[in-house]
Amino acid sequence: MKQVYICHDTVTGIYSALYDAWKESRNREAGIELRGKTQQQLFCEYRIVEECEKKVPAVQRMIKRYMGYNTYWDFYLAILSDDNEKGDAVFRTMQEARRIADSTRIMDHLGCPAVAKVFELSRRVSNEAHIYKEVIRFRELENGVLFSEISPRTKILACIAEHFADRFPLENWMIYDKTHKAFLAHRAGAECRLICGEELNKESASRISANQKEYEELWKAFFESIAVKERENPKLQRTHLPKRYRREMTEFS
Amino acid sequence: MDCIQTEMTLYEKLQILSDAAKYDVACTSSGVDRRGDGNGMGNCSRAGICHSFSADGRCISLLKILFTNECIYDCKYCVNRSSNDVVRTSFTPDDICTLTMEFYRRNYIEGLFLSSGILKSPDYTMELLYVTLYKLRHVYNFQGYIHVKAIPGADTRLIRLTGFLADRMSVNVELPTAEGLRRLAPHKSRKNILTPMRFVQDGMRQNREEITLYRNAPRFVPAGQSTQMIIGATQDTDYHILSTAEALYKKFDLKRVFYSAFVPVNRDSVFPAVSHDGPPLLREHRLYQADWLLRFYHFEAAELLDEKNPNFNIFLDPKCCWALKHLELFPVEINRAEYRMLLRVPGIGCKSASRIVKARRMGNLQFDDLRKIGVVLKRALYFITCSGKMMCPTKIEEDYITRNLLNTKERIPEGAGSLNYRQLTLFDDMDPEKARLTFQ
Repeated sequence: MKQVYICHDTVTGIYSALYDAWKESRNREAGIELRGKTQQQLFCEYRIVEECEKKVPAVQRMIKRYMGYNTYWDFYLAILSDDNEKGDAVFRTMQEARRIADSTRIMDHLGCPAVAKVFELSRRVSNEAHIYKEVIRFRELENGVLFSEISPRTKILACIAEHFADRFPLENWMIYDKTHKAFLAHRAGAECRLICGEELNKESASRISANQKEYEELWKAFFESIAVKERENPKLQRTHLPKRYRREMTEFS
Repeated sequence: MDCIQTEMTLYEKLQILSDAAKYDVACTSSGVDRRGDGNGMGNCSRAGICHSFSADGRCISLLKILFTNECIYDCKYCVNRSSNDVVRTSFTPDDICTLTMEFYRRNYIEGLFLSSGILKSPDYTMELLYVTLYKLRHVYNFQGYIHVKAIPGADTRLIRLTGFLADRMSVNVELPTAEGLRRLAPHKSRKNILTPMRFVQDGMRQNREEITLYRNAPRFVPAGQSTQMIIGATQDTDYHILSTAEALYKKFDLKRVFYSAFVPVNRDSVFPAVSHDGPPLLREHRLYQADWLLRFYHFEAAELLDEKNPNFNIFLDPKCCWALKHLELFPVEINRAEYRMLLRVPGIGCKSASRIVKARRMGNLQFDDLRKIGVVLKRALYFITCSGKMMCPTKIEEDYITRNLLNTKERIPEGAGSLNYRQLTLFDDMDPEKARLTFQ
């Protein structure tokens, strides 16, 4: 009978499920499904995974050791995506890796549907992370904190942390992911922190600093005057910058 | 109206000086990877980052401004020429520094693009640019991207000092021929423009040696230099323009040559009759396509155009045109052709070509594999074979292929093997014989 492991849609959850699945059913058919998003099937045995922090580094270490760092990174990105079958795809990719001679090259075997899926998910997440590196707009709050709200489809906060920490090491800044209710917070001179499950205090997030308005106006003026009127081309603009990103951008508000 | 000009606000200055800078095309922030040192603000990534796209669809990556729009020169094509009556203003170095820093920390921009009109003299202007960059780098500790113009005619010592602060430098050649330059920009000369370009090139070469010796030697223009040409302000042909670009790439190691479709901002009798369809955007597009062929596909200008055919085809891209003129080289066998030849097939780009070379080591490639690899089959199918077979029966004939490439809106012709499915509907003529044909 097929064993299905059920876990929460978190990094810890999925790695714990991978841990259990790998330990017990690596030689047979098994699946990983997300809690609340399962589809009951016949001839399956369902089990809820016991999630714990210890299981995460164990699986990660094994992936890095046998499948290489690049594969590990692809898996990690795929797990951050918004797809319901991501755990399944990663697990089946791991199974596939045992069958080939050089497991570190597993991500080249795009002929295998599970590998192709992981590849696609990983690309989707890293592409979205790259777009948000471009379109995130900070506003300065009264207390000098740079604050930004975004609504990405995948959990990209972890992927952009390093970029912004390197870019603004001496600033206090914070990015709020509205879709997943998570914060990325950085204190001047310290490491980034990812905080999940906290609510945004809308009132204090709207108290902007004295000259924030001025710089917004300056930026909008620049944005207007830099376009060449004779070359206007809204379609091209839309291809490069789809409308869903514009909601949170200063120059389009 | 005579009135004494009062001090302008930063808002007005920014409006005027960004409006004056918008005809400069280069807005790339690529070519250099640099991590922040932890004591300031900013970093750079090699691929470059675009932060927004303006209404004309061009990317906004850098804060593109002029230092001043006052200018002693009178170039016919320029809004800021001395004989135009426009509001003149200048930033102060501090204005620019605060604007850059405040925009940068809100993640609006990737860095600064600083150009300028010629105030008093080239040396004076270059010095102002240097002062601004110095402040930005050493007082404000800015480590993001800086693109600065080298002013033709300025002292080389100033250019050298500025080069150590900037990531990319550029001098605009403006027009493809020296003759055109003489006519439209009477105060500029070819020699004056090429001198700083050569100087920067030599500086970069020397700097590379320094860096191999001393790892921490300061970097001189690490992202290379670029230039820009105006398209359509003179009667020069595409062949002239492309040959000039090729010469610049070969002799001056430029990173990029940008082409800018001429937007007539001044009325002047020297310009060719201005058409009413706006700036020559398609021509600009074709030139960029050809520019890519020069830089990444190992083409030469003389292969794409010649004295007899000096302009690009408006209907077909330069690579297709070249292939149609050299049908004796086609079809190419995908499983055997060398990399350079694969690059020359329409519909195969650099990425697909290198993927093909890698993938065919594992086994013979079929048309289905090519599609997965990313080859644009609707264009490539006339020029390739897989294991000796073409995708569908075609004639290797210039007229036939041209017609197909244009008429079918570049779709794969029906009956091209198993790759072509058609959605069945209830009202289809359900002749079993026919249906079988469609699904073959």
